[in-house]
Amino acid sequence: MLFVELIAQGLVQGSIYALIALGLTLVYGLLRILHVAHAALFTLGGYMGVLVTNQSGSLGLAIVAAMAVAGIGGVLMYRFCYEPILHQPPFVPLIASIGLFIASEEIYRLVFGAYGLSYANPPLQGQVAIGALSFKQAELAVMVGGALVIGVLALLQSRTRLGIACQATVTDPQMAESFGINLKTVRYVNFFVGSALAGAAGVMVALLNNLVEPTMGSVPSYKALAIIVLGGLGSVPGTLLAALTLGVVESFGTIYLGKLLDRNAIAFAFLILVLMVRPQGLFARK
Amino acid sequence: MKTGLTTTALAALLCLAGAAHADVKIGLNVPLTGFAAADGKSALEGAKLAVAQANAAGGIKGEKIELVVYDDQASPKEAAPIATKLVEKDKVVVAVSGSYSASTRAAAPIFQAAKVPYVVAYSIHPDVTATGDYMFRASTMGEVQGRAGAKLIGEVLNKKKVALVTLKNDFGQALAAGFKEGAPKFGIKITGEYEYGMSDRQFGPMISSLKADAPEAIYASGYFFTAGPLVSQLRAAGITVPVIGQEGYDSEKFIEIAGPAAEGVYVTTSLDRDSASPVTKAYLADFKKAVGSGSDMVAASTYSATFIAIEAMKKAGTANREAIRNAIAGGTFETPVGKLTFNDLHEVNKDVQVQIVKDKAFRRHSVISDPVYLAAPTKASLKK
Repeated sequence: MLFVELIAQGLVQGSIYALIALGLTLVYGLLRILHVAHAALFTLGGYMGVLVTNQSGSLGLAIVAAMAVAGIGGVLMYRFCYEPILHQPPFVPLIASIGLFIASEEIYRLVFGAYGLSYANPPLQGQVAIGALSFKQAELAVMVGGALVIGVLALLQSRTRLGIACQATVTDPQMAESFGINLKTVRYVNFFVGSALAGAAGVMVALLNNLVEPTMGSVPSYKALAIIVLGGLGSVPGTLLAALTLGVVESFGTIYLGKLLDRNAIAFAFLILVLMVRPQGLFARK
Repeated sequence: MKTGLTTTALAALLCLAGAAHADVKIGLNVPLTGFAAADGKSALEGAKLAVAQANAAGGIKGEKIELVVYDDQASPKEAAPIATKLVEKDKVVVAVSGSYSASTRAAAPIFQAAKVPYVVAYSIHPDVTATGDYMFRASTMGEVQGRAGAKLIGEVLNKKKVALVTLKNDFGQALAAGFKEGAPKFGIKITGEYEYGMSDRQFGPMISSLKADAPEAIYASGYFFTAGPLVSQLRAAGITVPVIGQEGYDSEKFIEIAGPAAEGVYVTTSLDRDSASPVTKAYLADFKKAVGSGSDMVAASTYSATFIAIEAMKKAGTANREAIRNAIAGGTFETPVGKLTFNDLHEVNKDVQVQIVKDKAFRRHSVISDPVYLAAPTKASLKK
C-alpha cells in the first residue's frame, strides 16, 4: 500500500521535473547551451499563475497566461543574452545564464516581495479516490497535464513542418539552413516552447504547495541539469524517463534513506551511480 | 606655519564637536536576501520600531539612535565579515542579531573578542551564549522549547503516540533534541522520526509513511514556508490529528499559505496575541500602525532585543561597553515577549506561550509555566 503510494508520489514529482527538464533538453539539443536561467521562467510561471488566478478567478486563464509569459521570457532571454554570445566558448553562455538566474531571483524578490505569494482560493484541492489511493485533484492534474503536454509536443515535433524543421536544425544546422529553414525562427520557437513548459510546471507546483517564492527555482535550476545528463544530453525520451525515474527514486529515498541523506543528495547519488554504469546517460543521442 | 597649526587645531576641535553630536550606533545583522529574507524583513521592522519609538521619546540622553543594518543572508560566510565591519568600521557599542543561528554563531565570537555586547533576538542554538559573557539571548533556547512541546502534547493535550518531523538545521535539531529529552517524562512514545531540508516543499512520501504509523499527534519543526505546505498537505492526505509547531510557524504568512488547514494548529512561541500585558498590547498596536500588518514572533523578539540594548544604554551611557554589558546582565526588561532577566549564562527564563490558530488568527491557547522544567541552562550546566 505504502509502496504504491510512494510510486504515485514519485510520478507526480517526476512529472514536474519532466516539464522543467524538457525545455532544458530542447535548448541543449539545439544550441549546446546549459540554460541554467530556465528555472527562472519556472518561477515566473508560478508567480503569473497565482497572480492571474487571484485576479480573475480562472485557473485555465492563469495557465495560458503563465505559459505565454514564460515563453516570451524565454525568447527574450535567447535574443538578448545568448544570441550575441553564441560563437563564444561554452562557458561564456553558462556564466551568463547563471548570472541571469541569480538576477532574476532577486528581481522577483524586489517586485513580488520576500514573503512569497499564495492563492487566495486555491483551486483543485479536493480529493479524488482511484482504487485504494487518494489523490489531491492538483496532483492528478499535474500527471495528466504533464503527459498531455508532452504527448502534444511529441506529435508536433514529428508531424508538423515546423516540428520537423526543429529536428533538422538540431541534427545538422547548416544542412537545414540550406533547405530554407530559418534558423532564427526555429530557435525562437524552441525557446518559446521549452520555456512555456517550465511556466506550466511553475503553475503546477504552486497548486501543490500553495506558495510561490523568489527562490523556488534554485533547486530545479541544477537538478534539471542533472536530469538531462541522466537522460542523455539532448534526448527527449531520455529526459522524460530520467525525470520520472528520479521522482520515484527520491520518493523512496527520502523515506528509507532520509536519516542518512537529504533529498537532493539522494537525487545526485543516484545520478552518480547511473553515470558510473552508463556514462552517456540512459538514452544517448546518436 | 603658525596658521597651519591653528587651522589644524580648529579643524580637530570642530571634528570633536561634531563627534559629540554623532548618533549612537546599534549594529544589526539580518537576512534581507536569500531564503530567510521574509524573517529578515520582519526582524528589521521590529528593530526599526524600537529605535523610532526611542528617538521619538528623545533618544538616549538627547542623542539620536542610528540602526546600522547589514544583510547577512542567514549565512555564516556573510555574517562574520559583517560583525568585523560593525566593530571596526562603524564602531558600534552594542549589536543585535535579527538572524538565524548559523549566521549568529559565526558573528558571536567576533563581538565577544571585541567586547561588544551582542543581544540575540531569536536564534536558539546553545553555542551562542556559550561563546562568552558579552552574549545575551532574549528568547527561549531550542531545547527548552522542545521540552515545552513535550509537556504540551503529553500532559495538556494528553496524546502519547507522536510522530516527530524535524527540519534539518540548528533550529529544528535543537527542538527535536529537547522534545526527545522531555518525551519520556510525559509517557510519549515517538512513532517515527522524519527529517526534511530547508528547500523541501513537497512532503508526499513522508506523509504517506507517517500516515501508516498512525500517530495521535505530530510535532513538526519548520518555518512558515515549509510548515505552510506541510500542514496543508497533511490535511489533504486525510491526517486529522493535532499538529504542534513552534515559533518558526509564528507568522501570518503561515495561515495564508496553509489556508483552512491551519485551523487548530498549535504553536509554542514567545508572542501571545491575547496577552493581558500592557507592554505587549501596546507593541502589537504600534507595530500594526507602523507596518500595516500584524507582528510575528521574529519582529517581536528583535524589537525586544533592540529595546534591551537601548534601555541598557540609557542606564549605563553610550561610551563604555563593559558598563552596557553589565546593565543588560543585571537589568529587568518589560518587553512584548515577556519580563526578561538574564541568568549567569545570559539566558532568559520565561514561560512558553501556546497559541492556536482559530478563525485565521493566532489566539491564546495556554501557557506552559514550569520554572524548574523549563529552566534555561546555566554556567554550571555548561560544564557537564
